Amino acid sequence: MSLIGASVPRGDAVAKVTGRAVYGVDVRLPGMVHARLLRSPIPAGRIVTLDVDDAWAVDGVLAVCTADDAPPRRTGLAVYDQRLFADDVVRYEGEPIAAVVAETEAAARRALEAIRLELEPWEPVAGPEQALDPATRLVHPHWAEYEVAPGLEFRRHGNVAAEMISDPGDVDAVFARAPFVVEDEYRANRQYQAYLEPKHAVVDYQGGRYTVYVAHQYPFNVRDRLAQILGVAVSRIRVVCPTIGGGFGAKLDVGLEPYAAVLARKVGRPVRIVNDRLEDLLTCTSREDAIVQIRSAVDEDGRILARELTCLMNCGAYAGDMPFLASIPLHLAGSVYRVGTARVEARVLYTNTAPTGAMRGVGGTYLTFAVERHMDHIAAELGMGRRELRLRNLFRDGDRMLTGQVIDQAGTLRQAFDRMEQVAPWAQVTAPRPLHGVGLAALIWLTNPMPGSATLKLNEDGTLGVVTAATENGSGAVAMGLTQIAAEELGLRPSDVVVLAPDTDAAAYDAGSQGSRTTHVVGAAIRKAAAEVRRRIFDVAAEMLEVSVDDLELVDGTVGVVGDPGSRVPLGEVARTATFTTGPIAATGAYRTPMPAHDPTCATGLLFPSFPTPTFHLHLAEVEVDPVTGRIHVVRYVVVQDVGRAINPTGIRGQIQGGVTQGLGYALFEQLDFDGARYRQRSLETYRLPTAVDVPRVEVELIENADPAGPYGAKGVAEPPVVPVAVAVANAVSDAVGAPFDRLPVTPEDVLAALEERRRRP
Amino acid sequence: MDFRRAGTTDEIVSILAEVGPDATLLAGGTDVMVQYLRGEIAPKLLVHIEQVDELAGVDEADGRVDIGALTTHLTLSEDPVIRRTVPGLAEAASQVGGHQTQAVGTVGGNLCNASPAADTAPPLLVADAELRLRSAAGTRTVPLDRFFLGRRHTARRPDEVLTSIAVRPLPSHAGETYLKVGRRGAMEVAIVGLAARLVLDDDGDVVTDARLAVCSMAPRPLRLPDAERLLVGSRGEPEAVAAAADAVQETTEPIDDARARAAYRRRLVPRLLAEAVRLCMRRARGEEESWS
Ligand SMILES: Cc1cc2nc3c(=O)[nH]c(=O)nc-3n(C[C@H](O)[C@H](O)[C@H](O)COP(=O)(O)OP(=O)(O)OC[C@H]3O[C@@H](n4cnc5c(N)ncnc54)[C@H](O)[C@@H]3O)c2cc1C
Repeated sequence: MSLIGASVPRGDAVAKVTGRAVYGVDVRLPGMVHARLLRSPIPAGRIVTLDVDDAWAVDGVLAVCTADDAPPRRTGLAVYDQRLFADDVVRYEGEPIAAVVAETEAAARRALEAIRLELEPWEPVAGPEQALDPATRLVHPHWAEYEVAPGLEFRRHGNVAAEMISDPGDVDAVFARAPFVVEDEYRANRQYQAYLEPKHAVVDYQGGRYTVYVAHQYPFNVRDRLAQILGVAVSRIRVVCPTIGGGFGAKLDVGLEPYAAVLARKVGRPVRIVNDRLEDLLTCTSREDAIVQIRSAVDEDGRILARELTCLMNCGAYAGDMPFLASIPLHLAGSVYRVGTARVEARVLYTNTAPTGAMRGVGGTYLTFAVERHMDHIAAELGMGRRELRLRNLFRDGDRMLTGQVIDQAGTLRQAFDRMEQVAPWAQVTAPRPLHGVGLAALIWLTNPMPGSATLKLNEDGTLGVVTAATENGSGAVAMGLTQIAAEELGLRPSDVVVLAPDTDAAAYDAGSQGSRTTHVVGAAIRKAAAEVRRRIFDVAAEMLEVSVDDLELVDGTVGVVGDPGSRVPLGEVARTATFTTGPIAATGAYRTPMPAHDPTCATGLLFPSFPTPTFHLHLAEVEVDPVTGRIHVVRYVVVQDVGRAINPTGIRGQIQGGVTQGLGYALFEQLDFDGARYRQRSLETYRLPTAVDVPRVEVELIENADPAGPYGAKGVAEPPVVPVAVAVANAVSDAVGAPFDRLPVTPEDVLAALEERRRRP
Repeated sequence: MDFRRAGTTDEIVSILAEVGPDATLLAGGTDVMVQYLRGEIAPKLLVHIEQVDELAGVDEADGRVDIGALTTHLTLSEDPVIRRTVPGLAEAASQVGGHQTQAVGTVGGNLCNASPAADTAPPLLVADAELRLRSAAGTRTVPLDRFFLGRRHTARRPDEVLTSIAVRPLPSHAGETYLKVGRRGAMEVAIVGLAARLVLDDDGDVVTDARLAVCSMAPRPLRLPDAERLLVGSRGEPEAVAAAADAVQETTEPIDDARARAAYRRRLVPRLLAEAVRLCMRRARGEEESWS
């Protein structure tokens, strides 16, 4: 029986639920000492005094470090705008100013208190609109002197850290003669990744090499970024990853590792550093807040003729990976629905707030919010059904995105609408009921294409070792996806496959757990390696069984002769024979998804130019609004999702349930906003994550339109279910209340205000 | 910090007499431990009283119900006597935090902690709760509406332990409720909490007695006598409820905080009150079961 499509239980589950799994924060090394950071208490200002002498005197303190004794260079992912410690100026609340390392954490805390810090507070640049105003102070007055990563080309100016512009030139003319123009503005607040395990690192420096123990999504990026920051060769750094307690995008870039590395080198002992929850919340690269303006020209039949979309994205004090994300608005402004021609502008803005960055569904969450809220508005303006309007404009096979990329399987969207109609017939679910509403939202999303590899080695007992830096971020991509693929390829049980945890000294490069790439990309790499391992197994077994290799098959841990159940030899025997004759059986496979073709003249600053391995999604939310409190109850949630091929259906359902849960948090509960430039929510009590009682059981309908390059046809699965949730819910609430909800999160306060407003209206 | 465990009420009283203000009683610890870790309190001595069995449980005798200070929220929400005689308290206890909080958090801790948002306070205020406080000097009784002095500030003296809470059971022709507003379905500090107890005449028409109390609308949980008076004699008609709601607005002083804006809290008042009056009247008439 095939393992592909089987809901095999994951091998890491028992250790996790019984508390035996060793997480990054559990790592302890002999002789280890403890570091803490002195962080800026204010969002903007100048350092007047920084006197660490008394900290050195605190009992148990081993070293104190500031900008003066840290690597001098500015580094970054796209713009080299950030130093390890604030030197002269602080640019966000929580920015590191100094670090101490001591025998105990308590001593390190005492030392921090002994540091004399005097700051001259400045009026912070609080939000993206203020940042854009020419009268506003520059967050980086010397921005023009900053280097940009090699090979990247994009416009920067003043507080604009990056700009992406696409203007085909014919947009205004279409608007000028359009029968209808519909215009909207949408706003979304930040979202904290809120993983269980705070950021942390243990670094040991010995013999000129740094060994970093950190539970991370992207170990090779830790290696590369640490090398960049420290100014050393990548081979001087080894990154070892224990079990991770969640990341959701916030653990793709380096975090605390460089501080531990600098201090470990200074004191010659392993250094551990862990954020407390407040530090983590304040300084995490949360999902950016954004403002999206969108305008569409529409004809009488509801056909969209042209569109204009402008997006302001707040990157906070340093650009991080945000310049790459400035491409997403172009991809989402005109996919799913045909929009004729479109002008799209995205600006990434520096402010005096914590740097933002990748979070599951990067940019897609609020862009889909804008696009699909706007579709409901267009339908209302035209007096047309909301589903009908969508079907009229829906992409078909071979339609082009605004980048010129052709989407071969876009007809899957129609399939999704049809499937949704079967499980939640539109006329039925939208039958008028007081304070009840329904929302729809569709999406085309990508599978991250970046490279990965795996080495398979047949052990001498017939089991399989897999050496890869692919990370099990909790999604099951390694524990289920890769394990099942490897087992299937070699006729083994999943429990006979052991995958080594990431170690950058052992495995070849892997681009980490991001964009649902692991099962798709590394799964493809495993299949390549497995083909070679199989060839070597058959070569040896053919001699042992005295048959031709063409007659051999792999079944249940043995090599058998097709059509002759009596002739078979256990894989362990084949492995032992091979090892001591021709040598051990092992092979490496590597894969990277080719980038789909696009029109390179379509835009400037398009750092992420196309959407590889696209997937297709349709979400439906049903809500009820409490007339007393304005609280929103999501009573039904349906996801239709194209996954290419479901390797493990239970795993997929878990990822969809989890993605929707995180999306509901973003839609309804997870408020992260500012009092000036400081976060108002400063604990997990007021930063409300959804609880089990707030989330319905998500109904999942899978479509399996195979991807030709994916392992068994599998496409990326786990990232996108978070994306359309907020807008499906916002559309449903707008429907229930009869008023537009154009700001995320949708709060009971806003609902109550709208209900009162509606009652006052005649 | 020192730690001591008390096995009996007498032991608690003698430790308090000896140590006084330097001792902090530890019941379920769901407030104490959080405040300690946040550095908000720095007790010299923690006295663990959670296992003093004589301080836990519910007793019904002579028309009074007595609730031991260490009774947990879980017990309150399930206890048949509480559900019959102070159903609003059961309703409130079932909404304190989540299952874990309810399993260990106690009613005495909830009251002595004196959070402006204490969920058990409003239903106990409408049940005319009286607190028994014991010290080496003896036992005194303090009505709950004189116990709360301000945020985390009560009439309890440092040498006193709260032993029990006496409440007046729901009379006949009466209905009671506690309505809590939070953003989530669990793990919420009340944005507003409102308790109501209405007694109707024999025909089930006219309100003959009304009790109202709120939390999260002022620095301490409040009884609302002005609003109560405006409901007495009414049939729960919208005008009377609106007038009572106006009176609530005048006696309360909600604030903007990270959980909600004052404007929302104010907006909630008339709606919650109307809903509470509707529920209480239906329950008083037997048209609807009390909370279950
Ligand atoms: C996750 C979480 C969620 C919560 N949610 C809510 C909520 O929804 N609503 C709500 O109202 N509260 C909530 N709380 C607060 C808390 O759980 C309650 O106030 C609880 O009832 C406190 O009881 P305890 O036994 O844990 O008190 P403790 O923490 O042990 O004590 C609290 C205070 O009372 C004093 N004390 C305790 N018992 C006595 C006594 N017998 N005599 C004199 N003094 C005493 C203690 O010295 C201390 O000052 C929550 C807490 C947590 C951690």
